[in-house]
Amino acid sequence: MNIIIWIIQLIFVPLVSPFCVGFIRKIKAKMQNRQGASVFQPYKDLWKLLHKDEVISKDASWIFKYAPFIIFAVTIIVGASIPLFASFLNNKLTGDLLVIVYTLSIGTFFLALAGMDTGSGFGGFGSSREMTISALAEGGFIFSLLTVALIAGTTNLFLISGSGMFANSQYFLPISLAFAGFLIILLAETARFPFDNPATHFELTMIHEAMILEYSGKKLALMEWASANKLVIFIALAANLFFPFGIAQSPSSTAVCIGIAIFVVKILVFCLGIAALESCIAKFRFFRLPDLLMISFILNAIAIGIIH
Amino acid sequence: MGIIFLTLIFLHLTKKNFIATVAYAIQSFAIVIILLNSFFETGNIYMYVVILATLIIKVILAPLFFNRLIKKHDLVFSASTYLNTPLMLIIIAVLTFVANSRKFAPLTGIIPANQTLLSLALSSIFISLFLIVNRKGTLSQILGILSLENSIVAFIVFAGLEQSVGLQVGVIFDIFIWIIIAFMFMSMIHKHFGSQDITSMKNLKD
Repeated sequence: MNIIIWIIQLIFVPLVSPFCVGFIRKIKAKMQNRQGASVFQPYKDLWKLLHKDEVISKDASWIFKYAPFIIFAVTIIVGASIPLFASFLNNKLTGDLLVIVYTLSIGTFFLALAGMDTGSGFGGFGSSREMTISALAEGGFIFSLLTVALIAGTTNLFLISGSGMFANSQYFLPISLAFAGFLIILLAETARFPFDNPATHFELTMIHEAMILEYSGKKLALMEWASANKLVIFIALAANLFFPFGIAQSPSSTAVCIGIAIFVVKILVFCLGIAALESCIAKFRFFRLPDLLMISFILNAIAIGIIH
Repeated sequence: MGIIFLTLIFLHLTKKNFIATVAYAIQSFAIVIILLNSFFETGNIYMYVVILATLIIKVILAPLFFNRLIKKHDLVFSASTYLNTPLMLIIIAVLTFVANSRKFAPLTGIIPANQTLLSLALSSIFISLFLIVNRKGTLSQILGILSLENSIVAFIVFAGLEQSVGLQVGVIFDIFIWIIIAFMFMSMIHKHFGSQDITSMKNLKD
């Protein structure tokens, strides 16, 4: 039974992530009075890209060629190392919050390197912007996870999601503040509004799209897939660390099925929230983004300060 | 108490006056719930009058007054702050840490069981004072003063220092009069200076 659950845990993130992207796009289209593409369109896009030839610049080094595999592998490893629908799995090897934060940073590091590797101007400024945001988001990211870790008394994410301490009203305020801070980080790290616009290739504003502009075919598919995986990873962290209800505590099939169903509902709620947010607010100027990330960091610092 | 604290941080961050008044109404509603809880604990039937007066004046009338003023003078956005947002939040964090520190333990430890809540109430008092100091708009400053009053009420309830019902009704009546006077003052200020930003009031007019 445990092997089956581990297999589900391993394939869950890459399996569901394109659907999340499609769902957000569909909701945004509906909010703009458009029909929009099917929610399964990202799967078709990935399939199409995986069957296309690719063009690689003659200036590209091994970094450009292997970065998509590294970035995709990072999201798969992280996806398997965080609590998704079951807290009893307790991955002690890679389930620590600092391991997760810095494993994700490896992906960001290679993404930035790959952006600069071909010597394209777009890739260069995309990488520069990405590293600026990543560096500023890192503090907020660690502090938001640290808040729940301090409350639960452990840095293992599975144990945090399985601890029942969140039901205690004493922790309502620190958790609310930490969640507010984490939400800002979620938007920053997944290149969503108000940090980035994933729907355009406008040179003045693009960040993530600028770095993957040189990619085509299979490698572009991996990059897009990894980006979608990262979105689900952050949603999973938000859903299971700050709202850890419905998560399976025992390896029984009923508990796991309920856990998966509740987790899917949580993902849909978060996607709905992101789509609504993206339809309501405009993208911020780049020089206003550090302020927003600072807000996240300080909100988390306040949250830690009021834990008794 | 958490809601009061969160609404105070929100009052610092928000730039829209209408949303600020809604946040104040939510904050006041949290006070009503705290008073209601106190009523269930003490069983004093006259507390109903205080709760009802708080509900009518702070949750309904005050936000209505302010919204009317916003619509009348088209005050959609509040005036800016003296400090930028990150610096402002750093100060809020410092104030929160100070209120939760051992320096204030004799004050927050009046009732040891409520120490967490008292620390939060004290933080809210400090943050309200900072809201009054940091904002340039008169409406935001008024909301800061009213938030300060809410925070003090919360502190008093959790510290078990509640006064007689008559005195509490008197205080609420006083606040009601203060809100009316503030409303009139704001109208006069807007008439004279054409703005609610206090930095534009350097030169007095006849």
